[in-house]
Amino acid sequence: MRFLRPKTARVLVALVCGGLGAACDETPTAVVEPSLEGVSGAGQSAVVGAMLAEPLVVRVRDAAGAPVAGQTVAWRAAPGGIAPASSPTDADGLARATVTLGPAAGTQTFVARLGSDSVTFAAIARPDAPTALAIRGGTGQAGRIGQPLGAPYVVEARDRFGNPVPGAEIAWQAASGEGTIIPAGTTGPGVTAFFLLADGTGRSAVVHTPERVGPNSVRAVVGTNQATVIFTSTGTNTPTLVATVPIPPSYGIHDTFVRDGIAFVSAWNTGLILYDVGNGIAGGSPAQPAEISRIVTGSAGLSGARVHNAWWFHNPVTAERRYVFVGQEGPGIIGSSSSGDIHVVDVTNLAQPVEVAFYHLNGAGTHNFWMDEPAQILYAAYYNGGVVALDVSGTLSGDLAPREIARTTPGGATTYVWGVQLSGGALYATDMLHGLYRLALTGGAFAVSGGDNVPERYSSDLWVHGTYAYTGTWGTRAAAGHALKIWQLPAVGVPTLVDSLIVAGIGTVSDVEVSADGRLLLFSAENGPAAGIHLYDVATNPARPQLVAAIPVSTGVHTATLADIGGRRYVFAARNPSDPALRIYDVTGLP
Amino acid sequence: MIPRRRTAVITSTTLAALAAAAPSAAQPAPLAVGAHAVLGWSTLDPAPGGARASAVAAEQVFAMAMLRAAGGRFRVVGMVNLEGATMPGGVLAPGAFGEGFMDRRHPHTYLHELVATGVWPGRPMGMSLTVGKGFAAFGSDDPTNRPALRFPVNHHWAQILERLTAVLGVRAGPLVVEGSLFNGDEPDAPDAWPNATRFGDSWALRMTLQPARGLEMQGSRARVASPEHREGSGPTSWKWSASARYLHRWSGGPELYGLAEWARTTEAEGFFVFPSALIEAQLRAGPHRPYVRLEWTDRPEEERTLDPYRSVRPHLDDALLGITRWRIQTVGYGFSVRVAGTTLEPILEVARAAVGIVGGGVFTPADFYGGATLWSATAALRVRVGTPHRMGRYGVLDESGDATAHSGH
Repeated sequence: MRFLRPKTARVLVALVCGGLGAACDETPTAVVEPSLEGVSGAGQSAVVGAMLAEPLVVRVRDAAGAPVAGQTVAWRAAPGGIAPASSPTDADGLARATVTLGPAAGTQTFVARLGSDSVTFAAIARPDAPTALAIRGGTGQAGRIGQPLGAPYVVEARDRFGNPVPGAEIAWQAASGEGTIIPAGTTGPGVTAFFLLADGTGRSAVVHTPERVGPNSVRAVVGTNQATVIFTSTGTNTPTLVATVPIPPSYGIHDTFVRDGIAFVSAWNTGLILYDVGNGIAGGSPAQPAEISRIVTGSAGLSGARVHNAWWFHNPVTAERRYVFVGQEGPGIIGSSSSGDIHVVDVTNLAQPVEVAFYHLNGAGTHNFWMDEPAQILYAAYYNGGVVALDVSGTLSGDLAPREIARTTPGGATTYVWGVQLSGGALYATDMLHGLYRLALTGGAFAVSGGDNVPERYSSDLWVHGTYAYTGTWGTRAAAGHALKIWQLPAVGVPTLVDSLIVAGIGTVSDVEVSADGRLLLFSAENGPAAGIHLYDVATNPARPQLVAAIPVSTGVHTATLADIGGRRYVFAARNPSDPALRIYDVTGLP
Repeated sequence: MIPRRRTAVITSTTLAALAAAAPSAAQPAPLAVGAHAVLGWSTLDPAPGGARASAVAAEQVFAMAMLRAAGGRFRVVGMVNLEGATMPGGVLAPGAFGEGFMDRRHPHTYLHELVATGVWPGRPMGMSLTVGKGFAAFGSDDPTNRPALRFPVNHHWAQILERLTAVLGVRAGPLVVEGSLFNGDEPDAPDAWPNATRFGDSWALRMTLQPARGLEMQGSRARVASPEHREGSGPTSWKWSASARYLHRWSGGPELYGLAEWARTTEAEGFFVFPSALIEAQLRAGPHRPYVRLEWTDRPEEERTLDPYRSVRPHLDDALLGITRWRIQTVGYGFSVRVAGTTLEPILEVARAAVGIVGGGVFTPADFYGGATLWSATAALRVRVGTPHRMGRYGVLDESGDATAHSGH
């Protein structure tokens, strides 16, 4: 409670002159104005615009302190209302007025005045119930899908007069399929909806993780009138480089095989390097790969290990994950000769890999692998040696030559097989000179169909998904430009070429892969202004890939593979030839 | 590519400066200097891609100096080569390859040669030690010192140059034996410097016999570690070279030069074999200089970049598209005039190259060039001040034969 009681000058003069006598020029008089004092009504609170429960009361007294009746007290209020504008004092010297608070929350003051004397009353005006929301920041951002936006969405609850409403209960909700939210300043998994009380300033904040490419919205709702605001940000799918792991420039990095959060990096004469990229064995992640171990496999009479590719065999029959098959790429003349063996590495102890077996094919060298793991068969592209099927069941040691099941050279004397893949019970193979073949291993022998179906270019890698296959091309033959060939695979019979995807500015399409869910197609491109990684949507129409992102890498990308780790999708790319490195990109959400 | 006008300016400026500063000096003057440049127009038909290609280039633009002290017991030889500035994209040359160039001869490094030699003379025995950047003791004369303007295909089979090298030479009468250690990596750009950490990973041995005046025969053997991969991961080359060189001057009359050469390089534990044979001859009679060269050389066909004259460097693997055999017949004629101490020589040179496939592979000359026979022609003006030396001949070899490059220059 607070009253203000100023003395009137005249009363003061009278008192002073009366006391000092001759010190005053004028004759002392008895004219003294009554004084004003507050009695009650101060310190009340109510919501803005509401009437105070109790009236404001003042008392008028004369100089002797006796109540004075019949004095008119004037009342003044700003910005609220007060009634009446003036009121007379009663026999007790009391005057009263009723107050209606103004629209501004906070302290409001009301003044009673009598002559030159006044008393000021203060009251607290509380905000009214929230009826509106105002966006105070965060909307209109752009951020990578699956990752929290950089700034929170901030909303302010307001009453009907626009006053912030602390403690207002605000409902937050992300639109269906457009991400999750968490209260700002907290951690943990996001949810799609929750209630949050506004802070002391009437504000509430959440952090949004957009889920889809394009607009992603979150709405905030308050009050019985369901006042709503909508935050909208754009989800992007621009791949993000999360790690660059330098590889010794010993012909750099070739293939990378990722499984169970472990990346097997084939680093030529540096050997096979195992990185934890999410497995947990060494505390690594895609953003911070942690080396587990490395092994330099045998040279097999060549100059160096020449580690080109690897496959970690998960044997469903024995439940073992014991062996890694390593391809060695020796010198060769494309279309004519090659060299290099298969080396078998025991990774029972991932920290201490040990080479235990090998396979050598006279006059030919191996390239890419595929496995029929349930059947415990390793299929190896073997360049001019064609395709080799090896029985890799049981314990492997020494020379695996006796384990050869079958071998074929689908293109005859000029065969030069780049890669193989098993899909739908059929084995597909790309021959650099002869195109795409379909093979079937029955009774210890291959049946061969297709081939000689890419006359204008040399073929490279392949990937089969469902009823479609994609093959890369490289080099120069009769036609300029480089392309991805798109094939339809009938249940029986030869692959049918349905389209070509020409990409200018690429020297070689060197690696092709489709994500496990069949949504994303990637290929790597070497040399030329468009060198790098190219990513396509094949979920919409697998026969018509649509470019969704391209990652330029000026020095070129030799190989690239997709891996889903921790709910996110990554591309592991081999940057070559100068300044070689394993580059890891987050491509979650593509397409 | 430097604009043509700028190229000409560089060339003329360089020559003018050298000419003013250094009149020719006959050996064994304490200081001998020289400068050299060729401004030429060349055409190749068909060129990579099937069409004819033509270009003007200033090539073999260099200046050299040889310092002799202590009665010739201490020598310094230096050569600055400006091709990296005057022809950064190389010069059209059928069959030429190396250092990432195909069908264009690559520019050499700016500091082409800088060696110091100490000689311990004696008769019949003598010895010398040479250190610096220059030639390993291997093979025949650098093509710059020979008649034809266009380098032969076998340049990388028959010479080893631009290395950090130490050459120990011993002479015993007509026989000179040299052994050298050097770094295996070849340059990958005009401003590249030898990878000093690799010094000594390669060696070469050459025996030179000079049984009669004007006749010189040599046989060489070399091991070159990873020449095409600077870090040393590439395959090792093993090289042989044998040649016989004859030079005869009739007193006051013409001069006859001839060279027969055989070379063989194997790579990747013998997986790749590249033989070469070459015969060339020249007659110099007054201002006239007709010459001829016949060559049979195998070369690797590497995957090219989008520039059909360039191959991928550094290598990703050791796969070739094939091996081609180049049979090239070259004829040329030069006419020399001397003007104010400067030798000017207009040259016309024509070559016919037949390209075939050796063994398998996917490289098909007819597809790549549009034909298996390539014609090339060059019209050029050679400008020379001073007397160029025979590059790569150091110490006891330098003093035991013809020290100057008589043939081409």
